[in-house]
Amino acid sequence: MSAYIPAAQESEIPDPGTLLVEVAERLIVLIHAAGHFYALDDVCTHDGGPLSDGPVAAEQGTLACPRHGAQFDLKTGAAKTMPATKATTCHEVKLENGTLFVRLNAE
Amino acid sequence: MATDLTTDSTDRLLDGSDEINKYNFVTKTKGVFRARKGLDADIVTQISEMKDEPGWMRDYRLDALKIFESKPMPQWGGNIGINFQDIYYYLKPTEGQGRTWDDVPDEIKETFDKLGIPEAERKYLAGVKAQFESEVVYGSLEEDLSKQGVIFTDTDTAVREHSDLLREYFGQIISSSDNKFAALNSAVWSGGSFIYVPPGVKIEFPLQAYFRINAEQMGQFERTLIIVDEGAEVHYVEGCTAPMYSSESLHSAVVEIIVKKNARCRYTTIQNWANNIYNLVTKRAMAYENALMEWIDGNLGSGLTMKYPAVYMMEPGARGEILSIAFASQGQHQDAGAKVVHCAPHTKSRIISKSISKNGGRSSYRGLCKVEDGAVGSKSSVVCDALILDDKSRSDTYPYIEVEEQDVQVEHEASVSRIGEEQLFYLMSRGLTEAEASSMIVSGFIEPLIKELPMEYAIEMNRLIELQMEGSVG
Amino acid sequence: MTSTLTRTTTGFTQEAFDDFLATRNEPAWLTELRRNDWAHFLEYPMPSSRDEEWARTDIRPLKLNQFSLPMAPHSETYLSGAESGIDGKGTDVSGSPCLPQTVLAQGVDLGGRTSSLDGYPCASELSKQWAEQGVLFGSLDALVTEHGQRLRPYLERPVVDPTYDKFAALASACWCGGTLLYVPKGVRVEQPFHALSAMSAGPDAKGTDAKGTDAKGTDARGTDANGIDLSRTLVILEEGAEATLLSETASTRETGAGLHCGSTELLIGKGAMLRYVNLQNWNMDAWHFAHQRAVVRQQGTLQWTIGALGSRLAKVNQRVALIEPDAEAQVNGVMFTQGRQHLCYNTHQHHQAPSCHSDLLYKTALQDHSRTVWRGMIQVDPPAQRTNAYQRNDNLMLSRTARSDSIPGLEIEADDVRCTHGSTSGRVDNSQVFYAMSRGYTRQEAIRMIVAGFFQQVFDRISIESVRNALGTAIGQRVREL
Ligand code: FES
Repeated sequence: MSAYIPAAQESEIPDPGTLLVEVAERLIVLIHAAGHFYALDDVCTHDGGPLSDGPVAAEQGTLACPRHGAQFDLKTGAAKTMPATKATTCHEVKLENGTLFVRLNAE
Repeated sequence: MATDLTTDSTDRLLDGSDEINKYNFVTKTKGVFRARKGLDADIVTQISEMKDEPGWMRDYRLDALKIFESKPMPQWGGNIGINFQDIYYYLKPTEGQGRTWDDVPDEIKETFDKLGIPEAERKYLAGVKAQFESEVVYGSLEEDLSKQGVIFTDTDTAVREHSDLLREYFGQIISSSDNKFAALNSAVWSGGSFIYVPPGVKIEFPLQAYFRINAEQMGQFERTLIIVDEGAEVHYVEGCTAPMYSSESLHSAVVEIIVKKNARCRYTTIQNWANNIYNLVTKRAMAYENALMEWIDGNLGSGLTMKYPAVYMMEPGARGEILSIAFASQGQHQDAGAKVVHCAPHTKSRIISKSISKNGGRSSYRGLCKVEDGAVGSKSSVVCDALILDDKSRSDTYPYIEVEEQDVQVEHEASVSRIGEEQLFYLMSRGLTEAEASSMIVSGFIEPLIKELPMEYAIEMNRLIELQMEGSVG
Repeated sequence: MTSTLTRTTTGFTQEAFDDFLATRNEPAWLTELRRNDWAHFLEYPMPSSRDEEWARTDIRPLKLNQFSLPMAPHSETYLSGAESGIDGKGTDVSGSPCLPQTVLAQGVDLGGRTSSLDGYPCASELSKQWAEQGVLFGSLDALVTEHGQRLRPYLERPVVDPTYDKFAALASACWCGGTLLYVPKGVRVEQPFHALSAMSAGPDAKGTDAKGTDAKGTDARGTDANGIDLSRTLVILEEGAEATLLSETASTRETGAGLHCGSTELLIGKGAMLRYVNLQNWNMDAWHFAHQRAVVRQQGTLQWTIGALGSRLAKVNQRVALIEPDAEAQVNGVMFTQGRQHLCYNTHQHHQAPSCHSDLLYKTALQDHSRTVWRGMIQVDPPAQRTNAYQRNDNLMLSRTARSDSIPGLEIEADDVRCTHGSTSGRVDNSQVFYAMSRGYTRQEAIRMIVAGFFQQVFDRISIESVRNALGTAIGQRVREL
């Protein structure tokens, strides 16, 4: 899984904001924060909550799970707060001519 | 501000004649301040101002209030029929805290005398906190422990006097957004214990906190934070009671615990709230390398309890042990349980749950055992036994087992049964009445837990169980 | 019913539904039932992770409008293969060369067989001996047309609640094809019946290579649509009757999308005995949603075996209700998952009457990135004194990246009961592997043997040899070297 796959248009995601997309049958949340784009699995490692419904904290560089508030690092997917203790998978994103491409991390 | 706060609701006190009389009394008190009923940003700000708190704590509370308002009620567990606007969130019973029992106003002291606390303190405790309504009214700690750097104070004092230490951990283990009741507690918390045990200090005798709700429609929201530093040891015991009113009260605590490398912490609860109390509590501990966290959780009282003490095993070799007893009789639903989360290799956990349902009561075990990716070589065993004493009662078991790793050993077993007739006949043939025989079998059933309690608590627990058993035999 | 309609609408729209009804030549009462449930289907929301039951099963990637209601019966060539007759115990009992190989009935002397493709019947046969004794067996559509009045009460009071959720409503509104087995009072059928539900596979979802399959994105109907199977199974055993039904599902190709949404209803009368086997063996691109429920009356006995091997995502509700005294049910589950499969099986043992006995054992082995969720409940109502109920789920983790969730549950409202559950999760014991290797086996053989040993306990309970063999072989083929 090393190809960049087009996932969304830059204009679809406000800053700060998130967009849920499907890339090769996987649900990925694209995050726009402080001018940068990130991509994480749309799965909270605490109890599977949908991260795409959670708030982005651009200053802290985190996305919070709407269910019990666990925060994940946008760059690495690392769990920053309880009740999550494990990172969620993060993927590479690149922007070309207004299109966002995602390269899936094999896990 | 000083309206007449005399708690004089004796006439509305229910005669819970069948159950556990010892705790069913009301003390007439003159509180010094009571916030008006209901919950909003003004009340929260007022609580914070009364406590003369730093701005960060006030903001933390207000933020939590918003989270509380936005979170839905849990759709599982028990029926929570609380009208949040019909509760007093803050009641300050005295001005300041007593260092000796003589400093405590007579009527409150009398309460704790009746409950036997000062006597227990003399006999076998290393320190005591007594919380009456919203505030801790009495606190003590053996002198040599404080000399060794042990801190045992109420959490309000800790915010003022140990703010750096407190801020490092407060809300880190259980955040306001964890669940609706953790958010509520974070908004209106008051009292509770703050404990710090420095590296290597092993406290031989238990530290005890005693929580008493006295007034009607009172909410109690204590907040406890325990930090056991490397190689240290502590045993903390809490007891909870309240008189039985005709209307409901709410107890919603948050307890956060850190057990560092090679340290041990044991937390024992004997909860005997009156049957009109909703007891909705979040308790969670994080155990680090080779540390041991033990929860011993006895739930005998309350109308509805929802409480699942948790241990997160964060580093290799950490262990978590949880023993849970629940006894539900008429009008009671004990939704109790335990959670163990294995986050690191070679961590071990054990949950033993014993529950008894009687006379229309309902007891539920609800628990989680999770082994995360990477926690290789972890072991967990979860055993739940339930006893149903009659055909009006109910027993539920809901264990959740999540395994994300290959090299693990996870076992769970549960069974529900009734008192064996043979056993009963045997005992009766030896001259016991049926009630005595049942009571004896029940004692045998929970024996594995009782023997984990220090003697004094074991006696108390046995006595409470006997009372529950007598309560409605026939 | 041989008219061939070309599909004009895709998705599950009102228009598509009206078209679908137009293809069916059914009595008015049945159309009425369908319309009712269709209204529920439209009205109910798609389940989401906010529903406790779906919290672990994410179906957001399911796009219902990529599938359509079955509306085109197969061309004659498809049905023509079905002439070989059931007495020739051939290797392929499906009766058609275009259908997938069946595995459950290998070498079995059958009392009848039926098969369908995308919900449309291909072939049905019932041996004369049983037909003469009043047994009905074959495609549900055909038999409803013929025996409408007899079957009407069962369809009007379904055992599976069509209002349970969106999928239950869809299955009830749009069922198409499937199997009916009806055994009259006192008739004991020794020979098993066999049913195959086959589903075509859509164009390769990944788009790029068709992995060497010959059909190259064209399904059995000669179109390039995704597969669909909305079959319904209805088994009715009257008092004292006995029967065995082996049913299996399979896709026509190894890749390509499909959707199954169906129901299974088993009615076991007083003193009756049913052995029912259901092997879910779709390809790894299929979605599988099923509501299954058995109702067992006084002294009735059910042995229900589930094999869950296929599908990309499965969500199954398997329920057994013991509604009269002394009823008995044994439930066996064999699950093997691989790739990124996600199988979620919710089982329910409902004791409604005294002195009943239920015993459930689910064994699961997980490979690769797969995930299983087993949630089991034993529910004992107040009158169900002297209940004896057991449930157990064991998981064998064959890879570090697999995940299993076990959620056994007990809800007990009677006091004179014995209810027990157990669950274990663990890995293959390396010392056993080394031991077997020291005796000359390869590593893979050793692991295969250990996996077989893991399933032995549940195989021992399955009393039908062909089923044991089929499951054993299928699992053996799937086990990879660790
Ligand atoms: S599911 Fe995300 S914090 Fe619990």
